Amino acid sequence: MSIYHYTVRRLFYAIPILIGVTLVIFILFNVVAGDPTLTLLGRYATLQQMAELRHELGLDKPLLLQYLDTLRSTFTLQFGRSWSTNQPISQMIQVGAYASLTLSVPAFVLASLLSIAMALLAAFFRDTLLDRSLVVISVIMMSVSVLAYILFGQWVFAYKLGWFEIAGYEYGFPYFIPYIILPAMIWIVLSIGPDVRFYRTIILDEVHQDYVRTARAKGLANRTILFKHVLKNAMIPIITNLVTQIPSLILGALLIESFFGIPGLGNITLQAINNSDFPVIKAMTILSSMLYIIFNVITDILYTLVDPRIKLN
Amino acid sequence: MKNLSRFGALALIILAVWLYARSVRVPQGQNEKVLVTTSEVQIKGFDPAQIDDLYSSREATRVYEGLLTYHYLKRPHELVPNLAVSLPTVSEDGCVYTFTLREGVKFHDNACFPSGQGRELTAEDFVYAIKRVADPKVRSSWFSVVAGKIKGLDAWRDKYTDTAHTDYSEAVEGLKALDRYSLQFTLTQPWPQFLYILAMNFCCVVPQEAVQYYGEEFLNHPVGTGPFTMEAFNPQLNKLVYHKNPTFRDKRFPSEASEGYQHLLADAGKKLPLVDKIITHILPEEQPRWLKFQQGAIDIADIASDNIALEVIKGNTIVPQLQEKGVQLCLEQAPMTSFFAINNDCEPFKNNAKLRQALSLAFDGQRYNELFFNGSAVSAQSIIPPGLSGYQRDYVNPYKQYDLAKAKQQLAAAGYPEGKGLPVITLDVRANTKQKQEGEFFKKCMEGIGVKIRVVPNIFPELLKKMSQRKTMMHAISWGADYPDAENFLQLFYKSHQSMSAGLNFNDAAYNALYERATNMQPSEERTILYEQLNRMLAECAPVVYSIHQAHPVLYHGWVKNYLWSNYCGGLEQYINIDLDQKKALQARF
Amino acid sequence: MIVHPAPRSLWRETLRQLFQKKLTIVALVVIFTYTSVALLAHWGLIAGSWNTEVGSSYAAPSMQHWLGTDIFGRSVLAKVIKGTEVAMSVGFSVGLISITIGVALGALAGYLGGIVDECIVWFYTTVASIPSIMLLIALTFILGKGILAVYIALGMTHWVDLCRLIRGEVKRHRDREYVQAAAALGASHLRRLCRHILPNVLHIVVVCFSLIFQFAIKSEVILSYLGLGMQDSPSWGVMIDDARVELTRGIWWQLTFATLAMFLIVLAFNILSDALRDALDPKLKGK
Repeated sequence: MSIYHYTVRRLFYAIPILIGVTLVIFILFNVVAGDPTLTLLGRYATLQQMAELRHELGLDKPLLLQYLDTLRSTFTLQFGRSWSTNQPISQMIQVGAYASLTLSVPAFVLASLLSIAMALLAAFFRDTLLDRSLVVISVIMMSVSVLAYILFGQWVFAYKLGWFEIAGYEYGFPYFIPYIILPAMIWIVLSIGPDVRFYRTIILDEVHQDYVRTARAKGLANRTILFKHVLKNAMIPIITNLVTQIPSLILGALLIESFFGIPGLGNITLQAINNSDFPVIKAMTILSSMLYIIFNVITDILYTLVDPRIKLN
Repeated sequence: MKNLSRFGALALIILAVWLYARSVRVPQGQNEKVLVTTSEVQIKGFDPAQIDDLYSSREATRVYEGLLTYHYLKRPHELVPNLAVSLPTVSEDGCVYTFTLREGVKFHDNACFPSGQGRELTAEDFVYAIKRVADPKVRSSWFSVVAGKIKGLDAWRDKYTDTAHTDYSEAVEGLKALDRYSLQFTLTQPWPQFLYILAMNFCCVVPQEAVQYYGEEFLNHPVGTGPFTMEAFNPQLNKLVYHKNPTFRDKRFPSEASEGYQHLLADAGKKLPLVDKIITHILPEEQPRWLKFQQGAIDIADIASDNIALEVIKGNTIVPQLQEKGVQLCLEQAPMTSFFAINNDCEPFKNNAKLRQALSLAFDGQRYNELFFNGSAVSAQSIIPPGLSGYQRDYVNPYKQYDLAKAKQQLAAAGYPEGKGLPVITLDVRANTKQKQEGEFFKKCMEGIGVKIRVVPNIFPELLKKMSQRKTMMHAISWGADYPDAENFLQLFYKSHQSMSAGLNFNDAAYNALYERATNMQPSEERTILYEQLNRMLAECAPVVYSIHQAHPVLYHGWVKNYLWSNYCGGLEQYINIDLDQKKALQARF
Repeated sequence: MIVHPAPRSLWRETLRQLFQKKLTIVALVVIFTYTSVALLAHWGLIAGSWNTEVGSSYAAPSMQHWLGTDIFGRSVLAKVIKGTEVAMSVGFSVGLISITIGVALGALAGYLGGIVDECIVWFYTTVASIPSIMLLIALTFILGKGILAVYIALGMTHWVDLCRLIRGEVKRHRDREYVQAAAALGASHLRRLCRHILPNVLHIVVVCFSLIFQFAIKSEVILSYLGLGMQDSPSWGVMIDDARVELTRGIWWQLTFATLAMFLIVLAFNILSDALRDALDPKLKGK
């Protein structure tokens, strides 16, 4: 089977998942929760106005028709307007994604490089003090609550010491840079922990392979083996791990964005949650699920491309 | 050695990036007067007919104007003409109001006008704007405020409920442009609050061209006559930028002020607005907002709902550390009443005034005031806050005294001695830290008489929903005035089982009758006496547990001039000035 | 490849390995201490009076109030201790719920295969595709508020990884000789699954439990931030969340001590799960 056929088939398999996702979201948000009329009409609303609005939004339609609406919006990416601000959601997503990406991409790249470097160091010096302390540090870093990082970081580094901007955001390069440094650092600290430990195990797994023994027997230096051979082979699981993280980059970070006033998708989501703005919550959920599914497909295809051992079926 | 130099290089790179990042700044004019403010809530848009929250309205009044506004420096608040030349002439029966508009007022220059230049404002624009509030397609929640009041407007609205298109050219009897600058309203019956309504944000004038040109996007493209312009609003920017309106009419800083506000007259007679630009940052979290203010990156910090107020305001002044930085405090009484509302239509509260009185007596208002307001708030004895007629400074509500013995007595009389037989009462609050703590406090108070409370935090829409569905037993809310008339508060109890208002579901025939009589009167001694009588009636019924009337603290830096907070008066920023030299001098102290 | 024929000695070996490392012993001691504290608090032997005023509002840590007091003058120490009970109960209940769901579905899918397998795989892939924070929010919208809602919502969002692993393992074991032999001896499906296969996948459950435990404790903070957390008892999440408005006033003690208390137990569980993984299943490393 060609890679082309495989891709098509893999995408085809994604359809039931997508339907499942929309169904779950629909049941959770349309059937069980949600009456937008109060959010939309304000404090002088009358019962008649509420009924009119419910009709206008199609909330008195049969559930099946409402579900078809949800499904249609999934495939057309037209999510309508926000209930709380009346802004078009697709535009909100476009602008928000930009802000989220300016924070998440640099943070992600740095965090990945850093965790790979730390994992290599730990693997290279395995079972030494360095290895153990690196592992312990990464465990320690992931044991503190994100909220505590944000509150302390902002108070100490941005305010008391004045090293960084406290909060805010500017659109356009390079003006956003001062605003993303501290949030990016918190992001890095949070994500390094699990990554270092995962990469270290992968690298160690490779080290135990036969070819390493052969290379050693041939008298190659440890360093050469590690960088030339081990890292090259370990890159496959590492890259797939990285690819699966990409959807979350676009979504941004809920708490970090909100505290640092970065108008990204995380911030939008949080505000939508606080306003019971269901169309926005739904759109964000559908969007992230779709990204997750798509990138899973990409990961699978990537796997088959780089690793000929995996058969295409 | 090699490793060391590598680390050195890495450190240098990081240092360079950091220094670069610190030096990056958005370019800004040297001698521009820029006012930087914040909003703690997301701004919904700029369509006066649609926005209904305090924060969005505050932003909109920088761009839009109405016929009337309030005098910036007079307290109690006084209506003054804004786009009208003077206050209207009123017919003898109190039903016909005739306004004369200012000549030569221009809308902002905008692409929606054929030439790109703002055209002159006419009386027809007001007719259009008010009709728009009634247009069923616009779905303005404000219509219910004017419903049944303006002759022919309801009929006009009903006619277009089910049609695809609303015909604005069809005349409405009570809403007429007599000529280019004369505007006449005809009411169905006398309505003493009508002028206050006209000063509200939803009665601001909008040009038909802009609504048609931008369609659904009108809410993001404000085109008004106000002192500031905004190119386009993008809710995702978290930052709003306004510029001084170059074609703004000749509006001057007031030259009179009430006693106590004379010191704000330094710029009297100067042409408004006084600053070139306003930047508003949207920062929902208290910590960054406050830290940025202390850094001097924000000029004005409205800390009314922030916990930090407790820390920096002692007595009626701010702490010395801030005084040294030149920070100023504006502490005005807010026309607002906070209370623990009771659903008077649900068991066990229904028809049990004694039980409600018991709760009220068991609430330790003084301790509450100390814990949450440093004792700076005014204990609420009635629903009417200070500053409105009907508020009595010396009035003592017999059931609003902390008296556990009496509370227990009333509880026993209500049929629940020591709370026995009483179910656990849920208290719905908003899910923010402060409100949750306040709920906890109420719970602790009620434990004193054996009444069990369970505090339930909700996000705000959820709380509203519960209130409208009458599913709460008790809930904590604050009610703020939209205009300076106690009617705005007393209406909460008027046949409130029929509407949602504050979720009180209170209905008392005697109260309803007296309320109708009082609120149809023009402001007078006699009306005030009736208001006071209504208060006493409410005290006996105890439909809510009053807590406090809050003061509204706003901090601003020493370089901000003429600042005065007002709950009603829109477009405050046009009066504010900035002293650039002082700003430099003061910032050097940080 | 190592074959796992349910060796009882594996568990003994595991314990031996666990006690060999000093770090793991420390982690176990921490977990034991927290559990005891939680139980004592549950029985009301300590911190039973956390709700009473012991000092003035927001008193800083001193000899009298070791960890300071909160807004109502309640002891932060007592709140941290009471919070331990909440955290441990959240960790334990969430762990239990997710393991029940994960093992049941995973075992069914792996053992039965066919259409059941496909349905379950479809279901967990669907759930995995929805960001857990959104699922959490939606579930609390439905379940309402309170401790039970927190348990269930967190439990429902943490079972997917476990389910996937169990399914794979059960599938592998199903066709092994010893299971085939049991089948030949007339063992029923249920007996084969429960007596023969499940004991062999238990190590996955143990490792996952300790991971879910600490995830749940951390997630409770986020729930508190969103106003969906605990209601009537002082959880660490609520204490950390309170710091949003306290830290600017210089009130650092609630945040610090709640964070510290949480940090220690999460760290201990992280170390334990690492150690367990090393001892029980080298293949699971880093997952």
